[in-house]
This record gives sequence, structure tokens and C-alpha cells, in this order.
Amino acid sequence: MEPRRNPRTVIDPKVRQVGFFAPPDRSQSGLPDAASPVHASSSSPSGNSLSPVMIPPPRHHSDNLIPPLPSPRSVPHPAVPSSYTAASEFSPTAASSYSSGSRFPGDGDDVSFSPGRLAKENSVKVMASSVPTVSLVNKPPLNIAATDKAGAEVLNDRPKAPKEKMSKAERRALQESQRAAKAAAKAEASKGPAGTPGAAPAKPAKAASRKSDVASASVTASEKKGGDRPTEKERKKDVPHPRMQYDDTSRVEKAKRRAVVKQTEARNRVELFRHLPQYEHGSQLPDLESKFFQLDPMHPAVYKVGLHYLSGDISGGNARCIAMLQAFQEVIKDYSTPPEKTLSRDLTAKISSYVSFFTECRPLSVSMGNAIRFLKSRIAKLPLTMSESEAKTTLQSDIDHFINEKIIVADKVIVSHAVTKIRDGDVLLTYGSSSAVEMILQRAHELGKQFRVVLVDSRPKLEGQLLLRRLVAKGISCTYTHINAISYIMHEATRVFLGASAVLSNGTVYSRVGTACVAMVAHAFDVPVLVCCEAYKFHERVQLDSICSNELGDPHAIANVPGREQLNFLDGCAKSDNLQLLNLIYDVMPSDYVSMIITDYGMVPPTSVPVIVREYRREHLWM
Amino acid sequence: MMELEIELKKASDSLKSWDTTSISLTAGCDLFMRYVTRTSALEYEDFNSAKSRLIERAEKFGEISYKARRIIAMLSQDFIFDGCTILVHGFSRVVLEVLKTAAQNKKLFRVLCTEGRPDRTGLRLSNELAKLDVPVKLLIDSAVAYSMDEIDMVFVGADGVVESGGIINMMGTYQIALVAHSMNKPVYVAAESYKFARLYPLDQKDMAPALRPIDFGVPIPSKVEVETSARDYTPPQYLTLLFTDLGVLTPSVVSDELIQLYL
Repeated sequence: MEPRRNPRTVIDPKVRQVGFFAPPDRSQSGLPDAASPVHASSSSPSGNSLSPVMIPPPRHHSDNLIPPLPSPRSVPHPAVPSSYTAASEFSPTAASSYSSGSRFPGDGDDVSFSPGRLAKENSVKVMASSVPTVSLVNKPPLNIAATDKAGAEVLNDRPKAPKEKMSKAERRALQESQRAAKAAAKAEASKGPAGTPGAAPAKPAKAASRKSDVASASVTASEKKGGDRPTEKERKKDVPHPRMQYDDTSRVEKAKRRAVVKQTEARNRVELFRHLPQYEHGSQLPDLESKFFQLDPMHPAVYKVGLHYLSGDISGGNARCIAMLQAFQEVIKDYSTPPEKTLSRDLTAKISSYVSFFTECRPLSVSMGNAIRFLKSRIAKLPLTMSESEAKTTLQSDIDHFINEKIIVADKVIVSHAVTKIRDGDVLLTYGSSSAVEMILQRAHELGKQFRVVLVDSRPKLEGQLLLRRLVAKGISCTYTHINAISYIMHEATRVFLGASAVLSNGTVYSRVGTACVAMVAHAFDVPVLVCCEAYKFHERVQLDSICSNELGDPHAIANVPGREQLNFLDGCAKSDNLQLLNLIYDVMPSDYVSMIITDYGMVPPTSVPVIVREYRREHLWM
Repeated sequence: MMELEIELKKASDSLKSWDTTSISLTAGCDLFMRYVTRTSALEYEDFNSAKSRLIERAEKFGEISYKARRIIAMLSQDFIFDGCTILVHGFSRVVLEVLKTAAQNKKLFRVLCTEGRPDRTGLRLSNELAKLDVPVKLLIDSAVAYSMDEIDMVFVGADGVVESGGIINMMGTYQIALVAHSMNKPVYVAAESYKFARLYPLDQKDMAPALRPIDFGVPIPSKVEVETSARDYTPPQYLTLLFTDLGVLTPSVVSDELIQLYL
């Protein structure tokens, strides 16, 4: 065995810090060492420098753009229109307050730049100067309580800072200021005149300070005082992220406040999956059941379906989607528009609240997500002139059509295509329990084809056993095995039929955990893998691994084997710090392992999934 | 109008039944039917205008198919460079057109031709090429791997292009594609777009059989069986590009086109 590579520092092996991190909190005392811009997660004991997985935050490009600011600062060109609205409001008045002296030596360079850029640079320079003073310890302690004034004073009192400290602080400050300035520009748009008079009195007080840039700096300083959170959050809001990341505690807090289902977070969680929700199982059901008759905002049908999801009674993409849509049909039936509100908006809001309830019970599947999108688009497209009862009946019949066309008839089409691929003498292998595959096998048997089935199953759900029971009852000869025997049994199989929870745009198939394993082994043995999936489960997102988006199930289900007391070695160990149990529900299978996808649009190769998504969204606007 | 469609369907069926094994015939008929009837002209009240629209589209289809070979030949000129060696298998008129056009454009290349038993396609093709003054060399089918080193590209035609992007062609194409793939040589397929068929074979035996008796020259004892299948299926991962009248496509685009046309 080769000697282990020496880790550079001692790192807690449980903690993996992967990715890009924001610069550390300004409110921390002292200037954090630039060499270790560590954003330690709250539970991480390692506070020290770069772990091997860490990627240091990118240096801001403006670092190199502007030389570090010495204390005589440049007076920006009065005629220059600032790129920030805050700035522009003060430029006429500000110009007058300046003496013409103390030109920045680099001014000659400035003039050659375009005005907008000049203003930006200047403002950036100012930010650079103003912001670090908030965080630098060796600066004279400033009374930061007052917002605008403080900004002014800060600039006034700023002594010459040692150059190298400035550069690091400045770099980070530049970043922060850029962000803050952007936030300020936005805040200005919303705050309007509110911000400006506040900054105005501060402005004349300073002689040698920048004009508008100060104002925006003070605005940003005030925003910054609100904590780094608002600016970061606004920055995050610029880029919409599709799913909630459960390791972002602020968002989790917000979501919790609005939650109906009080879930307690599991304590002992695997670090890699911290972005996924994991709750203590079995604790909410009695509580929710007792609340059944006290729910005003929640429709009882929705509540019932939510409880079914929570307890695991309804599982499987089609079943969950149909149950949800039928609950929504009930909702629509009982719905009446409140006064002063339009049906479409109010109903959409109601549906959204029910959807968040469902998400709390159990994260939505792709099939459910697509159905909800369909429903919302239908509601939005209702003509305003329609009467309420007409609208309600239209929506209900639309839901009926959706269920019929996209699920029931689609399944029939899939079955008719798939049975053409089954020949006499075939040995068909399937994994878990998929409704589509079950229908295929039953139909093929009805048509009199001679084949046998190998059913592969896995713990902890053991879903295959129900399917096995039903197939044997029909008279199909079956072999049952667990997934640990997959490579043993694969040489017998001639075809592999698998179901899917979703198929993504790059052809990857998102389905029950273990399916990817079966497909991989089948590929290795050159057995064709046929994935049967209705087209409404196609999604335009792309996923490359099983980690970034998944669902975590009850970890204790792995530890306990029901009915076999002598095997429960892990009883009680689950609470130990050294043991973390991971129960993934889904996994992702790359498109190379899939030979063909059978959908209601026919048999297509996995590369054609985005084509179908494109053609059918466009034609039917999601239908 | 419906009557006309039924008539068309009957005619197409009878044409297809003349040679049930020909994939291109079946595919061509199906595509023709789809192309012609996939127009809103069928909803016109005036029968004559609808009929003339159908005839217009039919003639357009015929024109496209007819001109297809010229278009394919033009598109593939960029891929034939001076001094290259091309391996050809089977007698495809499209490939012949490609090579003819290249020769007319004064490109210097040479062709290796497989014998193509039992149809002796290689002999026919090498005859044609000799007439064009293109240097030709004949190989027996087993010598393909032996010569693959000196080959720059492989050119084949297709009986049918299937939905996965693979092709059904004369027996031996799969072998050649495998060898070429393992030695990193590109395999180019020249096929007209009416050959796109809605089939999806999973393996070699998953197609309708097309049998052709093989004459070994000596009598075979009755206890010995002979594999008489005339064609095989080449999966899309062994093909590099498809030259069609719709353009130069990768195999995954075939399904795209079929979905757009059929659905």
C-alpha cells in the first residue's frame, strides 16, 4: 500500500467544504487572514485554513483594475454622470462643495476612461475606502450606530492605512461594495427619495469626500449594518435557484415559520446531503391527525392526501400525481371566489399554499411538479369574462383530461409499444415496482407470449414483493432476488424493463435508488435496458449526479430489520456521533446505460428527450 | 377527402406488399403519406384546391427524393480530401454519386472496395469506379481489418435509417463499423431522408428477416445450416455522421426529425 498523502492540515473528516464561499462576515473582529477565507459551517470544528476540497473565493477582477487607494483621493470629474442613481442626484450640489484641489495623481488616467466607467471606478474606490474602515480594527473606533453620518465621519476620519492591509481588505471591500452598490441601486429604486434626504445632510459635512459616492456608500454602509444577510440574500435572489437548499439556515427558518407541518430536523445528518431536508420520522403524524378538524385554511381533501404522503401510503409517481390532482379537483369544486379578488389569482395562491403543504409532507416528485405547472397555466389562461361556475367546471374537466390523456391513455400506448419488444423465450428483468412495467408484463402475458420474469428487489422498502404477488397471481412465472445478486442473475436476462420517476433533458433517468445499479450491470452484460416513462414526467432540467437533488428517507429504516430482532445490531447506535445513516430514495442513471425510452410518443432514444420536451411544450403550452 | 386518404393508403399498402422486406420502400411510403396528408389543406371545403395542394406536396416529395442524391453528393464533398483512402461496402447509388462528384471535382483519392459476397456488389461498384478513372482496389470481406490502417474513412449507404440513429444495411456493415470504430476511423453513411423508418431494433435479431440464398459454388450437405440473412443493424454509437438531403446530421438527429414529422 502506498503511503497516504499527508493532509495539509488536520481536517475533520466529517466536514466537506466544497465550492465557493463568500468572504467572511465583516462584523467579525479583526481582518480575517486572507489566506484562509474560510466559511466554516456552523457545526464545523475546523476553523483553519484551506481543506483540500476548498476553492478560495475568486479574486474580484477590479482588484487589479484600481491601484490601492492612498489617502488623497481623487475628486471625480464633476461632469461625469455616475452610474448609480444615488450618485447622480448629488453630483450637481456635491460638485460645489468640493475644492478644486487635491486631484488624484491618477486623474490623468481617469480622464481617458469613459465617463460611466470613471464614475464606477471612483465610486468603487470610495467604497473601498469607506467599507474597510468599518471592519478594520486598527481604525479609530467609529460610532457606527448612525448610518449616514457614520458614513461621512468614516470618510473624514480615515487615516492613512498601511498599504498591504488595505489591499486585502480593499479587495474584499471592493467585492462587498460592488454588491452593496448594486443593492443600493436597487434600494434606491425602491426607497426613492427616502434615502436621499438622509444622505444629503451628511454630504456637506465632509469637505474632502466624494460626493455621490459617499451617499451611496453611506446607503450601502447602512445596508451593510443590517448584516451581510440582506445583501447576500439580494444577490442570491438575482439568480433564482430552483430548490430550497436546506443548509441555508435563514431560508429554512423562514420556511419553518410558514409551515403547517411541524417537522423536527434530524440531528445526525450526513454532511454531503445537508442541502436536502431530513426530518425525524414518525413524529408528526399523530399531531397532524388530531388537527384534522381544526384546519381552516387547509382543505380536508388536501390534508388527507398530505397525510397519505407522509405515512407512505401513496407512493409512486403516477399514484401521487393522480391523488394530488383529485384533491385539487375537490378544492376547485368547493371553491368560491372571495369578494374583491379575481378567481385566477386567488385560486393560484391557494393552490400554491397547498403545494407547500404537500412539500412539507414529502418533497414533490417531478410528475407532481409538472402537473402543478399545468394546472397553474390553465388557471392563468382562464378568460376573465368567464363566470365562476363555468371556470370551475372547465378546470375540473381539464384536470380530468390531463389524468386521462397523460397518465391512463399514455400507459396504454406505452404498453402497446413495449409488448412488441417482447419475444417468446425472453427473460425479462425488472427492478422494484413500476406501474408501467407491471402493465406491460400483464398485457404481454394476456397476449400469450412465453416469457419469464426476474424480479429484483431491495431493502428497506422491498417494493418488489407486492409486484411479485400480483404477477404470480396472474400466472406469470417469476424469479425473485435481491439486488446483491444482480450480477449473478444478469446473464440470464434478455431484456431489462425499468420504470422512472422522471427523465431529464440530457437523457438521464431519475428513479428509485438501485435502478442505476441494475442498468449499469445490464449494460456491462450487453442486455438492452428499456425505460418506460410517460411523457409528462419529462423535465427540462439536467442533473449530473445523485447528490445535488434527491430525497432522504428515514435513516432508521436502514438500521432496523423488521421482524428479525436478532439482527438489530444498530439499535441505539443511530444516535451516536460516529455513525450517520443515509437512506436515499432516488438515484440517477446516465443516458449511456439506456437503450431506449418507451413513452406515449413512441420509442425514442434517450437523446430525443429534449426534443419531446421542446415540441410538446411549444405546441400545447405544457400539455 | 377521407375517401382520398383511404385510397392513398390502399395504394401505399399494395406498393409495400410488393417487397415486404425492403425497409426503404416501407419507410418511403409511410413518409410520403405523412408528408402529403400532414397539411391543413385537407380541411379546405373546396375539394379541388385540396386535391391540387396534395398533388403539389406529392410532387415536391418526389422532387426532394430525386434531387436527394445530388444534395448528398454536394454535402459530402467537404469530407473527401486529396490523398484520402475510402473504404466502401455494398453497392449504393448514393455513395456512387458521391464518389462520382468527387472525381468530377478533380479530387485525388483512392477507393478500397469489399467484395460483398454473396451479392458481388463489390465487383459491380469497382467496375463503375474504374470507368471514372478512380483507383480501385478489391478486398475480400475478411481483409477489412487488415487494411483498416491505411483507410481514412468508411462510406456506406443504407437500406433504412432507424429511430435510434443506427442503420440497416447489407450484411457486413456492422462488422466494418466495429473495426473502424475500434481503430478510430470515421464511418459516414449516405442516405436519403425518405429512408428514415420508425423502427427501433434492440439487437440483430429484432428486425423483420430478409433472407437471401447463398451460393457457395459447391453443394452443401443437408445437415449443415447456412445463415442467409441479407442485412444487419449497425447501432448509432459506431456511426460518425449521416449525410442526408436534410443536411449533415449526427445519428441522434434522426429521432428528432422523425418526431417532428410523425407527431
